[in-house]
Formats: sequence, C-alpha cells, structure tokens
Amino acid sequence: MFKKVLIANRGEIALRVIRACRELGVQTVAVHSTADAQSLHVQFADEAVCVGPPPSKDSYLNVRALMAAAEVTNADAIHPGYGFLSENAGFAEIVERVGLKFIGPRSEMLRLMGNKVAARERMEKAGLPLLPGARGVLADAGEAERIANEIGFPVILKAAAGGGGRGMKIVRESVHVRRAFEGASAEALAAFGDGSMYLERYVEEPRHIEMQVVADEHGHIIHLGERECSVQRRHQKIVEEAPSPAVTPEMRREMGEIALKAMRDIRYNNVGTIEFLLDEKGRFYFMEMNTRIQVEHPVTEQVYGLDLVRLQLLLAAGEELTRTQESVVPRFHAIECRVNAEDPETFAPSPGTITGLHQPGGYGVRVDTMAYEQYRVQPYYDSLVAKLICWGDSREVALQRARRALGEYVVEGIKTNIPFLRRVVGDSRFQAGKYDTRIVEQIQAEIRASRAGAEKAALAS
Amino acid sequence: MARRVEHVERQQAPELEAGEGAFTLDEVKALVKVLEGTDVTTLRWQRNGQQIVIRRGRPAAPAAMAAPVPLMVPHTNTLAAAPPPGPAAAPAAAPKAEPKPGTIVTSPFVGTFYRAPSPESPPFVEVGTVVKKGQALCIVEAMKLMNEIEAESPGKIAEIFVQNATPVEFGQPLFRIEPA
Repeated sequence: MFKKVLIANRGEIALRVIRACRELGVQTVAVHSTADAQSLHVQFADEAVCVGPPPSKDSYLNVRALMAAAEVTNADAIHPGYGFLSENAGFAEIVERVGLKFIGPRSEMLRLMGNKVAARERMEKAGLPLLPGARGVLADAGEAERIANEIGFPVILKAAAGGGGRGMKIVRESVHVRRAFEGASAEALAAFGDGSMYLERYVEEPRHIEMQVVADEHGHIIHLGERECSVQRRHQKIVEEAPSPAVTPEMRREMGEIALKAMRDIRYNNVGTIEFLLDEKGRFYFMEMNTRIQVEHPVTEQVYGLDLVRLQLLLAAGEELTRTQESVVPRFHAIECRVNAEDPETFAPSPGTITGLHQPGGYGVRVDTMAYEQYRVQPYYDSLVAKLICWGDSREVALQRARRALGEYVVEGIKTNIPFLRRVVGDSRFQAGKYDTRIVEQIQAEIRASRAGAEKAALAS
Repeated sequence: MARRVEHVERQQAPELEAGEGAFTLDEVKALVKVLEGTDVTTLRWQRNGQQIVIRRGRPAAPAAMAAPVPLMVPHTNTLAAAPPPGPAAAPAAAPKAEPKPGTIVTSPFVGTFYRAPSPESPPFVEVGTVVKKGQALCIVEAMKLMNEIEAESPGKIAEIFVQNATPVEFGQPLFRIEPA
C-alpha cells in the first residue's frame, strides 16, 4: 500500500479521499489554493501545501505546482478526484513517468476515452452498441432515405455545422425523409453556410444510465450495476438514483455482460463508468466512458455496500479484486441529491459565507460535504456544496427518506437549490420512476405556468 | 482567544527522544497555554532542525467559535491543526498583519528553498545585507529547476523566515526587506 497520497483536488471529494486513506493507514497531503486555506480538506489532511492563487489554472490545474508539492512532501501516489486533472492523460503520464502512481486507470485509457470519436469506434469494435445512424455526412436525400429505412424511425436529421436547433428535423415516416432533408439542408446552408447533414435514430424519451465497473491490474473485473442520472439540467446532473427504475434484472445482466466484455478487450483497470443512452423501448447505446471516480459514486456504494474510493486505492496499489460478480448484489435503493450554491429558480451561482447550517441525519442518510458554519463558498470553483444520499430497502423507502431529509436541511447565508430538489423528489413522474432527461425542463415549465396562473388570478381579483 | 498552530515542517533528521527532538503534542499544548493571556502574537522556536510556529489571531466571532470544525488527531511529525474559520488565519496574509516595516517577499510557487546557489557557496544574503532591486535572494527549486528569486525593491534584509533546504509553499513568506 502507498505510504503517502497527494490529493490533487478540493472540496468534498478531497475529504472523501482523505477519509479513505486514513482508514487504510495511508498518510495524506492536501493541496489548496490561497482561497481554500480554510477548507476542511486542508485541516483533515496530515500535510497541506498551498499550490497557487485562486484561479484553478494556477492552482488545481497547475501541473508543475502539483508535481513540486508531491516532490517536497515525498508522496508516492496522486489521487486526482473528479474534474480538474482527473481525466487529463498528459497529467497521468507525467505522474507515471516520474515514478509515482496515478490512482486511476493507465494514462492510455484516459487518452483513448478522452477522444470521444475514437472511444466510440473502439467501443463499437469491442461490442458495445452505438446509436444507429450515419457515421459521416450524407451525400444526398437519396442516401438519407436509404439509411433512415435501414435504422428505423423516428430519425433526426442534424446539420453537421449546426447548433441551437437550426437545421434539425425529426422525421417519423419514410415518405417525409426527402422533403425534410432538403428543407433542413437549405436551412443549414442559410444559417451556417454549410448544408451538410447527418442522421441518427431519434430517441423520444432518452434516459441517462451509467454502469460502474471495477477492475484490478490482474485481469479481474466486475460491474456494480447502473445509476440513473436522467435528472439533469444542461448536462449537469442534479439527482441520481440506483438501481434505475427503468432497468430490469435481465437488462442489467445483459448490459453488464457486454460492458465487461468491452472492458476486458481494452484491459481496463481501476474504476470507471460507461455511459449509455437508454431509449423508451429499453434499448441502450454507448455514449462515452468516464475514467475517474464520479460525483454520484455514493449511490452505488450504498446499494452494494462497497467503498469505491477504498477500492481505487487498493487496486492502484496492485491488490487483487476479492469480489466476484456473483458475490455482489444490489441490496438497497439509494438516491443522491446534489446541493448546489445557486438560486433555486434561475440556477445562478450564489457564493458567500454560510451563516447557519443544519445537515440532515438519522437512519439511512449520508451527507458528503466540505461545508461548515462560517464556511465560505468560493466563487472560483463549482457550486457543489453537499451530496445528500438517502437509502432504504426499497425505492419507496429511499424516496420517503430523501423527502424527509430534504425537509431537515437548513443552509443560511447563501442560496441553494434545496427547494428545487424538494420539487424533483416530490414530482409525480419522479415518484413513479417514469421520467427521462427532459424532466427538469418539464418541472421548470410547470413552475412558470403556475406562477403565470397565480399572477393572472391576482390581477383578476 | 482564537489560536492557531501551523506548519511544523518535517525534517529529514532521525527521530530523537522527546524533549530534544520532535515536538510532542503535549509540548505544543503547553506552549499554547503559556502564551494565553500574553500579548505575544507569534512564537517561532527551532530545535534540532524542527521548527514550530504558533500564531495567535484576533478573537473569533461567537458563531465562529461554535462552528463544528473537527480537529483531527495529528500524525507523528506533521501537525496540521484546525484553525478557526474566519478571516483571522490566512497563512500568507498573517505576517503582513504584523506591524513591522518593509515588504514581505513570498514564494511564487511550491518547491524547496535554498539560501545559496550551491552547497559550497555562501548564502545569497544574510540578515543585514543591503540589496538592490533585482538582486538574487534565494533559489526555489521545483522539479529540478532552480529558480532564482529576486528582490522586487531595494532595501535591507530584516528577516529570513525559512531555513535552508526546506519545502516552501505558494505565498509563503521568505524574507522581510526594510527600506535601507
């Protein structure tokens, strides 16, 4: 096992890693910017080194300063956490080259998965299904029609140069493909000066499902089921749960088998997450792979009873995976709510000092946070303040517990999205488990509509 | 009174008996106790290559005192004690709060501090040396690169805060330069 681990991160994940290290008897080095001198990770670690001024590029992304900190403290491994340099192949390579251990997959894995196009090609070769569609630009309307008939409807035509919905058309029947192609292509030409189009299967109710994999450096690999991450706004996840209400045990087995086969094919090591798009018919398609510990890893931990960060450390130190696929079973249902320092309506960031704080507790409740009373939420970094994880022996219990715990939460001095989280957890679609990536927009639209209705009523009275 | 114990650097020296070598937690506690009720704001004590710095800030607000900042049990040679939250204890800023004249030269990055260009050479400067603007004061070595740190203003070296060949972090005070 390592003697001393430097944690190249901040906030709750730095604390999470420090705690796992301490349980294993491993010394820790925290790094921090001048803005984070008062942070808990600085105080919890055995040693702390200030690596730069507040901007991330000068501190938490400052490879030279981080390497110098590892050198002066004699660390023998670096844990990158998530975000910052966690998926930076160049950083991982430097760490490897100077003879330190990068706690994560080999740098070549980071490099492969960092290139989204290359990753999809490689994963398709390894047996993962991709969203059906033309891989390149369509030659003409005839080709569009032929491919659309091949992959099945509905399909979506997208401008290669596109964005913002322009040059985009959803087509549900074969007879409409030609007209749609010509119209969208002309629109794209007018808008972007480029009429080239591509096409793929259109998913009406997309769900974001991801599989957790754990691999040692001796060829053993298991998966720890899926996480459902469809509650997101602008690709930022807000609420995650496991298991997914949309995934049956058969689907989980199938998804797990092909995921593990692909991971064996590339000899993946350490922990990682394979992201899938799940359509309304239960078909899933590979999107991308995350080669780091993820923000939402606690839901999997609570469901399977395994400490993923501890596993990361053990596996990076060369230990063998002692669990087999048969010995890991999902025992609980868990829900994570991300508490962000932001306006619950506009989602604008709300940094500042926390003047009053009460965190929920009790049975089946876990809070991962760096916050304390008088803690200053910095404007320089992301707005995540805490992760509230609630679990129970059924989805119903976990939901009731999450609502109860959100009701106990008090954060004063800054705005948080807790009111919005309460709304999500209480939403009828969420409660029924029948939701997809559009749910946040749907809830926001309803809030706007009810407000408009109330204003109208107030004017009328 | 808020109090703060910070940055006891680990040296490469072998472990010595308590009382001569590494500072023990009890000794640190005793030191802090002795300072209570006095006007002393900073105490720096070196012994056998070990250095301890105790800095005492302004009284914290009652809310800050009540704040649940956990104090972790420190490991043998390194002591990272929990300062109270609040503005009183930013490490880089603390010396500036002292009413001493002159400017503080801080380390521009993490590395190892050297007072001389090579082990055989005399130090670049000593306390009392009058320096010109741009004159080399020390070297901070990071990843095998020797970076000379220069005086940004002319003056007389009034204090040298760091011992030769010890690690320094970003923003750590290295020298105080008084107007000559």
